[in-house]
Amino acid sequence: MDAFEEKTMKARLPSWLVTPESLLIGLSMAFWFIMGKLDHSFLQWEVQRELSTHIWETALMALPMTLIILTGGIDLSIGSIMSLSAVTAGLLHQAGWPMPMGCLAAMVVGMACGWLNGWFITRFKVHPLMITLASMAAFRGMAEGVSQARPLSGFPESFTRMGNDAWLGLPIAGWIFAGSLAMAVWIMHAHRLGRCIHAIGYNEQAARFSGLRVDRMLLGLYTLSGLSAAMAAILFMARRNTAKADIGAGVELGVITAVVMGGVSIFGGRGTLAGVCLGLFLIHETREFVSWHWSRDELNLLALGVLLILSVVFQQLLGHKRPS
Amino acid sequence: MNPSGSNPKVQQAWFSLLKSRTAGLACFTTLILVWMSLWNPTFLAWSNLRDIAVAAAPVCIISCGLMLVLVLGEIDISVGSMMGVLAAAMGAMASASRWHLPPGVAMVGTLILGVFIGAINGWLVAYLKVPSIMVTLGMLTALRGVTEVIMGGQWITDLPPELRSLGTGTWLGIPICLWVTAAVVLISLWLIHRSTLGRRIYAIGSHPKAARLAGLPIARTQCLVFAWTGFLTAVATLVSVPQLSVVDAGIGVGMELLVVTCVVVGGTAVSGGIGNLSGVLLGALLMTMISTVLIFMKLGENATYWSRAIQGLFILGAILLEPWTRSRKKP
Amino acid sequence: MSLLVAQQIHHSYGGTQALCDVSLEIEPGEWHALCGENGAGKSTLIKIISGVEPPDQGSVTLDGNPLPMGRIHAVEQAGVVAVHQEPVVFPHLSTIDNVFVGREPGRLGGLWLDRDRMARGARQVMHQLGEDLPLEQPVGELSLAQRQMVSIARALLNDCRILILDEPTASLSARETQSLFRAIKQLQAQGVGILYVSHRLEEIFQMADRVTVLRDGRMVGTHSIASIQRSDLIQMMVGRPLDASSAARPLPREEQAPALLEVQGLSRAGVFDHIDFAIQSGEILGLSGLVGAGRTEIARAIFGLDPIDTGSITMDGQPMPEGFQIHDAMDRGMALVPEDRQRQGLILPESVEDNLTLPSLKAFSKFLGLDRDSRGKAAHGLIQRMGIKTAKPSSPAQSLSGGNQQKIVLGKWVYRQPRLFLLDEPTRGVDIGAKEEVHRMIRTLARSGSAILLISSDMPEILQLSDRILVLCQGRIRGEVTGSQATAEQLLEWALPPERPDAA
Repeated sequence: MDAFEEKTMKARLPSWLVTPESLLIGLSMAFWFIMGKLDHSFLQWEVQRELSTHIWETALMALPMTLIILTGGIDLSIGSIMSLSAVTAGLLHQAGWPMPMGCLAAMVVGMACGWLNGWFITRFKVHPLMITLASMAAFRGMAEGVSQARPLSGFPESFTRMGNDAWLGLPIAGWIFAGSLAMAVWIMHAHRLGRCIHAIGYNEQAARFSGLRVDRMLLGLYTLSGLSAAMAAILFMARRNTAKADIGAGVELGVITAVVMGGVSIFGGRGTLAGVCLGLFLIHETREFVSWHWSRDELNLLALGVLLILSVVFQQLLGHKRPS
Repeated sequence: MNPSGSNPKVQQAWFSLLKSRTAGLACFTTLILVWMSLWNPTFLAWSNLRDIAVAAAPVCIISCGLMLVLVLGEIDISVGSMMGVLAAAMGAMASASRWHLPPGVAMVGTLILGVFIGAINGWLVAYLKVPSIMVTLGMLTALRGVTEVIMGGQWITDLPPELRSLGTGTWLGIPICLWVTAAVVLISLWLIHRSTLGRRIYAIGSHPKAARLAGLPIARTQCLVFAWTGFLTAVATLVSVPQLSVVDAGIGVGMELLVVTCVVVGGTAVSGGIGNLSGVLLGALLMTMISTVLIFMKLGENATYWSRAIQGLFILGAILLEPWTRSRKKP
Repeated sequence: MSLLVAQQIHHSYGGTQALCDVSLEIEPGEWHALCGENGAGKSTLIKIISGVEPPDQGSVTLDGNPLPMGRIHAVEQAGVVAVHQEPVVFPHLSTIDNVFVGREPGRLGGLWLDRDRMARGARQVMHQLGEDLPLEQPVGELSLAQRQMVSIARALLNDCRILILDEPTASLSARETQSLFRAIKQLQAQGVGILYVSHRLEEIFQMADRVTVLRDGRMVGTHSIASIQRSDLIQMMVGRPLDASSAARPLPREEQAPALLEVQGLSRAGVFDHIDFAIQSGEILGLSGLVGAGRTEIARAIFGLDPIDTGSITMDGQPMPEGFQIHDAMDRGMALVPEDRQRQGLILPESVEDNLTLPSLKAFSKFLGLDRDSRGKAAHGLIQRMGIKTAKPSSPAQSLSGGNQQKIVLGKWVYRQPRLFLLDEPTRGVDIGAKEEVHRMIRTLARSGSAILLISSDMPEILQLSDRILVLCQGRIRGEVTGSQATAEQLLEWALPPERPDAA
């Protein structure tokens, strides 16, 4: 058993209690309790639903990111892909394209960017960190260059309604996330791809030796990540009725923090979607509460950075080791 | 049958390719200079070249530190946010409308703060064994948040003249920031070639396992290198920020990518163990020249918006070329 | 008084006894050779003496003082340095830097390196060794022989008392070997004791003073070179009591079935050359030879892991396509049980069930996803069939013993009923009981029609199981013999590198 399980055994606690997921549940309950005490109005359903609109884009991108980090990789370029997709849709709309076609083009761009990432990673055997660091600059640069950093807006009302309407109490963006989550859960738990992803993350060499088509799977995952970034861009544009080259800036940090906080090991292999959902929830609630109660957005950034570092330190202490 | 198949001549050929990276960069930079002067003779004017050098100064200074981080086999993407928070701290300390401390205290305070933040990075990487990408990614955001907290949504416009002179002053006709850059380069040369620490950094980056077997103090070295980078970021802040008329919360954004690009383009291997200073300096010069070049070529203001894309392409190219420069006998 | 004394060393890995009551003495200035076949325990002994691992029992003293066991750096500082076949150097640093890493001379306490003194010191030690190396070039650019010299120079500067050399000449030319010997003789003259592991028996007879032979983790004996012959040495290395190796030999095969796997002219520069052989269905072909002879590389090439320069691989009469991959090989019915069980064969943190069903996931996939029931049943069936001892199928593979882990690696392929099994050291690090079970499994597989390529360094194993045996030496096939006629001595003789034609 790995170091984590050893420590659990020594503490004589039931192993399900000491998983990151149950710790997160405990933290969430503690947070809600504290927040409720400090400011009761925060917990009202209307308020929560209104505030939830901020999280759906991050949440959507966190799903493929979870799969990618589970394989031991990372994608730093999702923010830039988001920018490029948004700019694409915005410019095409300006050129007279009907909005659905513009959105489709944006998704194609997103998938192409993701596919490029995956191709460089699998073909040249360079670490995903460096490739996506470079593509992060390249894609956003293209977005800036093509749009000359000007904001684009004036999208049709049918489009913006999608961003702001709710259906059965949940914003449409929330339904899109729910659908994607269902698909992600299906992939990880029902489909064989889930077993393969864990295997690749724990020991890529052994996975290859067992005949798994590792390169093909990684290519698919990075393409999926690009697609999710494009979809997030569309949701953003619908919500805020604007498309600009910097809308994706900094987004990757929130996504990665949520995934890492959710108990996914940065070295790959270990992690669950449930944990990531809890991580997203915690980050979102903390951020919104800070803005709500203290009206200081700056503390968000600080909290987010500290959360990421604390999560990774916590993982180190739990014994998640780099696979030798 | 000889299983290892070694051929010294072939290896020599590959390594001269690496050495020529510096030569290649020098040629490339010279070519651009020549091209630009043909396009528009004012490019070669002293004032223009001086401005390019002054703009490149902070990038050069930080690159000296970041190069060692990469040689060690780590990465630091928090330098941009470090610069932001150091600028805010410097402004808050020295400004008359804030804490109004003497300029000397503000200077020393900024330097100490830089070392402190770098040391935190180093401690997390070296002793808690957290991957440096995660540490510096978290720091990047956290420090940006701290910057905004310090600035409180306002700008600082009243830096004392002593500080301003750091940025805009000259000595013997050459801007002070260039003197400082030269000093940093000299110290870095000493560090790399003449100090035990330098040998250790390259050894650890070259073969971490062998370094451990040889009993080298790996954790201490890692900590020192990150702290040194923090110090250099503070130095860069001191000589570049006072040139601006306002200090705001957006200073340093994107700096980390620029510096990493310079260092990687300059021939430092991301895998560790390889890196020379001249390549890095040329890389810094080249990358800062690009935005000026774009303006001069009168491709319109739009052209500057492409500089980030060009940065990305440069770093991508440098990364992909790397296996060709790596030693073939790397274990 | 002896310089180095290793006494009653016992050491085991997992369930297997690697060394049992081994004692060794090295005199000052003595060239002491260490011989034995693969798996005899030589590398384990070296690891213990050089401080890589502490022994379970026993002690090692230098000059009468006990060595700090299990700490390489401390042992090196005490004066015992090991130089491995692939020397551990810093490839990007120059020779001078490499030689002085960690001990750079300088003024002001490390603030100003005395490069002149370093250069002089390096030149001096190189001169002492009789070598003329470029001192400023990155060591990664140098040849293997030169890198070994750098390693030795570093040891010399460290005032080493005992130098351990682990098969240093395996990849060296005759001229480089002579340079190395010259250098070693210099060290001998200074009173340094040499522990020299090698399969080149002619070198041992040429240079060594005494030789210790290990077999199956035990000492066979220590003799002065002058008192024995080459044939005696070989006898000591492989000779076993008659009953052990003549038990249960396979009878010569009668039917001439068509070849299932045909390999022709397989070559890869620097690794293997002109490999031709064929395996019939139901035949077990043993591939014997020393470590580094190219056996694993051939298996990897057949499975599609590594590319080949020239040659053809034909399965069932159909040649494999150019640049084929693992999944192509698997589709044609091949399976590879790799050498490194833990790193290549298993996903240790995952469950036994996951590991067993990993290559066959497609078979359990239905439209809506994995059919967990059939997967669980298949895993359960495999656990029974292979005799895997585990608390439950969901236990992580890490928690199982070496033998049971090996059964998982074998079992996951057995499920697919491959036509060709490539087995690379299938019972390395496996206890006796599990070893017997694995042997039984291999025979069953052969009887049911699978062809088996058995790569093994375990002489009794390869003699007991193989219908035919090929011996590989330095990438070429040196000899072929039927299982019933093979002897351990003959196999070793073929496996040992031939005497160099240009040796001095």
